[in-house]
Amino acid sequence: MGSNPTSATSKTLPKALSQVEGSAAEGPPSLTAPTGILGELEAKFGGEAVTPQATADHIPTVWTPVAKVREVLRHLKSGVERPYRTFYDATAIDERLRANPPANLNGGQPTSDFTVVYHLLSYERNEYVRVKVALEESRLSVPTITDLWPAANWYEREIWDMFGIRVEGHPHLERILMPKTWNGHPLRKDHPARATEMGPFAMPDEKEQREQEALRFRPEDWGMKRSSETSDFIFLNLGPQHPGTHGVLRVVVQLDGERIVDLVPEIGFHHRGAEKMAERQTWHTYIPYTDRVDYLGGVMNNLAYLTALEKLAGVRVPPRAQVIRVMLSELFRIISHLVWYGTFAQDLGQMSPVFYTLNDRERAFEIIEAICGARMHPGWFRIGGVAQDLPNGWDKMFRDFIAYLPPRLKEYDKIVLRNSLIKGRTQGVGAYKLDEAIEWGVTGPNLRACGFEWDFRKKQPYAGYEQFEFDIPTAQHGDCYDRALVRVEEMRQSLRIIEQCVKNMPEGAYKATDSRLAAPPLKEHTMRDIETLIHHFLGVSWGPVVPPGEALGAIEATKGNNGYYLISDGGIGAYRARIRTPSFNHMQTLPMLSRGLMVPDLLAILGSIDFVLADIDR
Amino acid sequence: MISFKDIVAAVLTVVGVLFVALTIAAGLIWVERRLLAVWQDRYGPNRVGPLGLFQVLADTIKLLAKEDWIPPFADKPVFVIAPAIVMITVLFSFAVLPVARNIVIADLNVGLLYFLAMSSMGVYSIVLGGWASDNKYSLLGALRASAQMISYEVFMGLSLMGVVLVAGSFKLSDVVEWQNRNVWFVLPQFPGFVLFLIAGIAETRRLPFDLPEADSELVAGFHSEYSGMKFGMFFVGEYLGVTLVSALIAVLFFGGWLGPVFGLAGWARTALGIVWLLVKTFLFIGFFILLRAALPRPRFDQLMSWGWKWMLPLALANLLVTGAVVMTMSK
Amino acid sequence: MLNLYGPVLIFFALAAVFPLATLGLAKLVRPKFTPTPDKVMPYECGITPESDARGRYTVRFYIIAILFVIFDVETIFLFPWAVLFRTPELFYLVEMLVFLGILIVGYIWLWRRGALDWV
Repeated sequence: MGSNPTSATSKTLPKALSQVEGSAAEGPPSLTAPTGILGELEAKFGGEAVTPQATADHIPTVWTPVAKVREVLRHLKSGVERPYRTFYDATAIDERLRANPPANLNGGQPTSDFTVVYHLLSYERNEYVRVKVALEESRLSVPTITDLWPAANWYEREIWDMFGIRVEGHPHLERILMPKTWNGHPLRKDHPARATEMGPFAMPDEKEQREQEALRFRPEDWGMKRSSETSDFIFLNLGPQHPGTHGVLRVVVQLDGERIVDLVPEIGFHHRGAEKMAERQTWHTYIPYTDRVDYLGGVMNNLAYLTALEKLAGVRVPPRAQVIRVMLSELFRIISHLVWYGTFAQDLGQMSPVFYTLNDRERAFEIIEAICGARMHPGWFRIGGVAQDLPNGWDKMFRDFIAYLPPRLKEYDKIVLRNSLIKGRTQGVGAYKLDEAIEWGVTGPNLRACGFEWDFRKKQPYAGYEQFEFDIPTAQHGDCYDRALVRVEEMRQSLRIIEQCVKNMPEGAYKATDSRLAAPPLKEHTMRDIETLIHHFLGVSWGPVVPPGEALGAIEATKGNNGYYLISDGGIGAYRARIRTPSFNHMQTLPMLSRGLMVPDLLAILGSIDFVLADIDR
Repeated sequence: MISFKDIVAAVLTVVGVLFVALTIAAGLIWVERRLLAVWQDRYGPNRVGPLGLFQVLADTIKLLAKEDWIPPFADKPVFVIAPAIVMITVLFSFAVLPVARNIVIADLNVGLLYFLAMSSMGVYSIVLGGWASDNKYSLLGALRASAQMISYEVFMGLSLMGVVLVAGSFKLSDVVEWQNRNVWFVLPQFPGFVLFLIAGIAETRRLPFDLPEADSELVAGFHSEYSGMKFGMFFVGEYLGVTLVSALIAVLFFGGWLGPVFGLAGWARTALGIVWLLVKTFLFIGFFILLRAALPRPRFDQLMSWGWKWMLPLALANLLVTGAVVMTMSK
Repeated sequence: MLNLYGPVLIFFALAAVFPLATLGLAKLVRPKFTPTPDKVMPYECGITPESDARGRYTVRFYIIAILFVIFDVETIFLFPWAVLFRTPELFYLVEMLVFLGILIVGYIWLWRRGALDWV
């Protein structure tokens, strides 16, 4: 890396966003002549402080010493032209057992026991940047960046919770997903991954009391007062067992009468260790686990995971498989939005729409069932394609649905969106400004409700979305009502995409035929070629081998940007799988949105930001 | 002197009214669930007995057989009495409801005042129940209930003033007789009707005024800690309230037992009167249920400001206009 | 008097007996209450509550209560007036207009002070 940093020039980076998209396909950024943001960073900090690393996803990646990380991140946020204003993700990797660490791949990399990885996103550049910090086992601590991005708060708590890496200066460094009584840090490689390694589970009364005591909320810990001059505050646990929280979400609300003084969302009740599970599943057998992350999004989760995996493994997906994927994903977007629509109205006290929308969803599930055999969690996508070809008569089912839904949506407009009580409850309630939304890492419909026309399907096309015609619905105020408007319009756009899929479904293979990772191989090959047969046998009985490397695959999922950051060390499964979910960020904005409002507003906001607890807790 | 016959008649009326009111209230459990189901594209309870009619019975048995739960942290006597209050006060109100000409438990000359007094008592049940539970959700529900019910009570009384002014009496049978001579009050007193309807929904805490229990916000509001038959009483109390308010709307604004008589006379005519009243009552019960199927819930502050800033001035204006019109007409 | 209120008394008795009888019946049918630590906790979504439900509340609720007293008393004064209006004279109407006028001034004052808004 001894190249002259001044040779770097940002001029080589095309200015127009559409051209930037194209640049991703040009090949890995050359390490000898860093361009773009890598060059800018080298120019500012020198080669010592920022060391680039090549990755399979071509996202500019730098290593930086722990002493410099705040400076580098601050520079990225506010120092560079077209800054990286969005805090996208932060996580860590336990590198101690990694077979092919990045050092062996590229040379000159710092050795690391634990690596903390930050992902930032710039809408101006339409580009991510990845900043890595190497840590030694003896000194596991990084400085906090919550003052730069308040959204980093939960991510840093998660890093502490999962890896035991201390975050210095964090305002409230406490476990976030695991119970406070938990021993150890689960995503460390030495933490057991199987229940059978941990002894039988029991919950005797004393243990239950201990757990309950650990769950008790102490206002003083959060710097909250117990009373004002005129009244005592009520500290109310809203959830985890509450009809309005859409699952096991706990929100501790500090109330003055019905007015919300402050609140603290507590998550983790739905945590199932999805990331840990990836480490002991093969690349292939992990697919159905992804379905359960955003459990309303079904195969859309498969798509996010496979986007990352196929980048990593360099698998090309044939056209028919791509269109099938898009078609099913968009159908699941509608399915997810239908659930949201009904429950949103339900949260506002309107009883009937949820029955109508779930009824419609049932019709969509009939199609899913006819194709996949399963309904909510089909696990239908495979490396390089989908599990099977479409069944006979699939197109008629879709055509019927495309004809069926629009009049229904029109009716719901009348019942819900044009209802003046609903408007009164949601307009001007729980709004964020565009700048806030961008900094907090808000994505998806919630971001578009602030008037920002940004859809990853259009701006960073994946899975062949560039071939489809559709609009990006936006709204202006960023309040509960506008979030609803955007989602409803999105359903219509998804129908448009599905219609194009049905009309233009290409012929051909439904799964890659030129990759050994796509099982099963063509029959004629296995009959004639022992190599193919053996690879297939090993790939299925042992697991598919993916070359060492790392890649982020991020898609426009039902609720926003869902990204899988996968690391392979050349094994048959993920060495580390990081799942970045939209709901995590969205839930973090809850206190900001609800302070000063009333209890019913809180429920309206919860309904409008459309989260799924499994998507938050993973 | 009170004759034996009078006593028998009185007892029969009492038992009859009590029986019919309670039967309707219990039946509403089934009616509401089936009607909602129809409007929501689903079946509703259809398994127990013909058309699921015995669902009521099944529910009752279930409620009776539930483990009784009086929270140790609750104020025990108040906790037990609260659900009984809601039922008793609503039942008491039925005493002044004229079922047909000359069939009424007590045709009091302060009938309407008596009804208003009894309905005000209902709020005690909610507040005491919520307070005694010593549960934050119950308490919030109870606070909402008290604020909401007293606010809407103010103009509930005012909204009826127009009727009283025109009919010149608090006696409910007089009100019906006036409608017999002239026209159903819904026409001359349309604003009064609308206001009373709204106040009536608020008093019975039905959607869109179900804020005291607001399931998606307060879990079950004031009766979160109640189970078994004590919960059942809040439940039946609500349906009794719906029945009462619907019947009162029918009596005050839609001519009570009046309707085509088809040349009948005597007891047959009386019986037909009862049928007419029942038909009208059920229409309004149906309307209550339809509201529940259709409307979302406003926010607490919106509810309060509608009450104080719209309903109250409107009720006053209605009264003054009615007064002025009555005076000019009589000149 | 007894003639009129006698049936009411019978009705009161029966109506009051009904809920009590139901509660009594339930007592015969239902199983014994078996307390467990979870059951005897106030319901707060499954979490041990922090602080008691009873405390000092925001003054808003008291203001509503005071408003209620004022306006409900006013309604009570209107009732006898409404009945006596059977013999309408201009004097009665003016009398009431004066009464209401005073009240409406107070009402407007309250409105402008923001007492009718829930803040």
